[in-house]
Amino acid sequence: METLFALLVGLLVAAGVFLLLSRTIVRVVLGLSFITYGGNLATLTVAGLREDAPPLLTLPGPYVDPLPQALILTAIVIGFATTALLLTVALRAYQVAGHDDVAAFGDNLARDTEAEDGMIADPEHQGPDQPDVEEPRTLVYTARGRE
Amino acid sequence: MTDLAWLTLAPALTPLGFGLLLLWPWVRPVRVGVALAGALLTLAFALGLLAATADGAVLVSALGGWPAPFGIVMTADRLAAGVSVLGAVSAVLAVWQAAADPDPVREKHHLFALMSFLFAGVQLSFLTGDLFNLFVAFEVMLVASYALAVLGSTREQLREGFRYIVMNLAASALLVVACGLAYGVLGTLNFAHLAQRSAELGPNTTVTAVGVLLLLVFAAKGALFPLGFWLPGTYPALPPAVGGFFAAVLTKVGVYALIRVFTTVFTGEAGVTNTLLLLLGTVTMLYGALGAVSQREWRRILAFLVVSSVGYLAFGLGVGTAEAVRASLAYFAVSVLVTAALFALATVAERAAGTRLVRVRGMLDHLPLLAGCFLLCALTVAGLPPTGGFVAKYALVRAGLSQGSVLAVVAVVSALVSSLLILFALLAVWRGFFWGKHPPEDPVRPVPLHLRLPAYVACALVAGLAVFAGPLLERADTTAAELRDNTRYIRGVLGDEPVIIPAAPTGEEGER
Repeated sequence: METLFALLVGLLVAAGVFLLLSRTIVRVVLGLSFITYGGNLATLTVAGLREDAPPLLTLPGPYVDPLPQALILTAIVIGFATTALLLTVALRAYQVAGHDDVAAFGDNLARDTEAEDGMIADPEHQGPDQPDVEEPRTLVYTARGRE
Repeated sequence: MTDLAWLTLAPALTPLGFGLLLLWPWVRPVRVGVALAGALLTLAFALGLLAATADGAVLVSALGGWPAPFGIVMTADRLAAGVSVLGAVSAVLAVWQAAADPDPVREKHHLFALMSFLFAGVQLSFLTGDLFNLFVAFEVMLVASYALAVLGSTREQLREGFRYIVMNLAASALLVVACGLAYGVLGTLNFAHLAQRSAELGPNTTVTAVGVLLLLVFAAKGALFPLGFWLPGTYPALPPAVGGFFAAVLTKVGVYALIRVFTTVFTGEAGVTNTLLLLLGTVTMLYGALGAVSQREWRRILAFLVVSSVGYLAFGLGVGTAEAVRASLAYFAVSVLVTAALFALATVAERAAGTRLVRVRGMLDHLPLLAGCFLLCALTVAGLPPTGGFVAKYALVRAGLSQGSVLAVVAVVSALVSSLLILFALLAVWRGFFWGKHPPEDPVRPVPLHLRLPAYVACALVAGLAVFAGPLLERADTTAAELRDNTRYIRGVLGDEPVIIPAAPTGEEGER
């Protein structure tokens, strides 16, 4: 049982890291969720897995420690809130940048010479309801990257 | 438990309550007044905490009345009270700066309320006595900081804020795993009880693994070298007052957690984690200093100085002797105050010159007092006499040399080289901004006094560090001695009796 859970945690985290390394913003958000769930499952596994053992002290018989489940519950609630916030930021970033591609954000320390800072990057391309007509998404991805 | 135990909750609950009050759409003067009152009241409570722990007492308040290892406790010893005061001072300065510089759009979207929630999260992280509650406190603090990081939605803020959020969420997921592992191995999450049980267990590779995991998490929050890539971009993108508070305190929360965990909790496994801290600290110092030399804008240079200061703290902590911990604590105080002062100065300088660049020339004639304050802060950061920074850095270097291992000596060399680089970077700022003749076609904007005043007060605090360096080191000394021997903390939290875990119920008493 523990081995199965360990494999599952590994799979979830691996999928999460794979998605996290993607350039699409929504995939990054999904990747983070996967990693969080992997972490929660790991906590559950560490506390001990037993069949027919509810985390209820009032029932007779063997029971598992209820505390890790309380921890996971808290972590899930916090995870919901932060994921919602991150999605909001992602949506806003999409509206401002006009792409859902992380590359559209540009480099960390390099100044964007096109856009005066403090200004919205692409006033014409505000969001999904105003599609990007100037630069249609006909980008071709080849083995060498973007052309 | 003493009568003053409620004081451990007050610095965290006060900003929380005032933050809720600030959600109400007051007119601006009232809102500013409420925000400032909240920050000042927090500072008053933190100072009360400082006075109450001055004799070495450990204040403990058990939430919900559950005694220590079973419920969540808030604890305050000398270290927690000290950093709580530093956080509250930075909070007052940040609110003051935000109040002096109206920003209608951000304020409409609850700038002051979010700042209050941020202060609450920071104080909660400082005063908690429980690993999982530390995770919750981190989240309270970080959610507020995420909102502040993207409040205003400029392109730069979104770009850097997204990076910041993703990095910190990944670190938070690791922290949950570390909490789970710690509970799985040691069966408790209370700091004092963790310390007791890991000591009973003796050297144990699993506990070391948990320690390394916690080290990675806190290094990410504190921006140690490979994990701090988000910082130099994020902090300059923030609005000035908020950026100043972020720079002064938020990375230091990660460092505080490192100090707490590796001096109070996992003391038995010091070897691996200390070596790692020393290595990361060595690289971080150089990385921050080189980054500061490479930049040409006020707050970008300062952001790299923040990175470098975290490196110095990790170095002191990694050396691990009582002397080194003492030096780290003194440097902690110096670093928080001087960073707040420098960011406040940068705000005034950017405002006066109308640009973020430092190559403006000739501002010495227009802002002589600002130039004096900058010189004082520059000397403090670079660690030259006669400032408090010199005292702290000298103590760090001496501690590193007296420990004498090869790695420590390498770290000392790195500390000296990066101090030199920092001095070079700040002299370049001085030469670029204050020296020379200002081009007449580029007018100097007047900065009203109420905008300059927070910066001058922050610099007065930095100057105070030089004057009161003796008492500061003395306090750092007693705090380090207290951290060195964690029995006092453990007994303060858990009491003198051994902790007895009640036997499992058999199920007979079922219908309770």
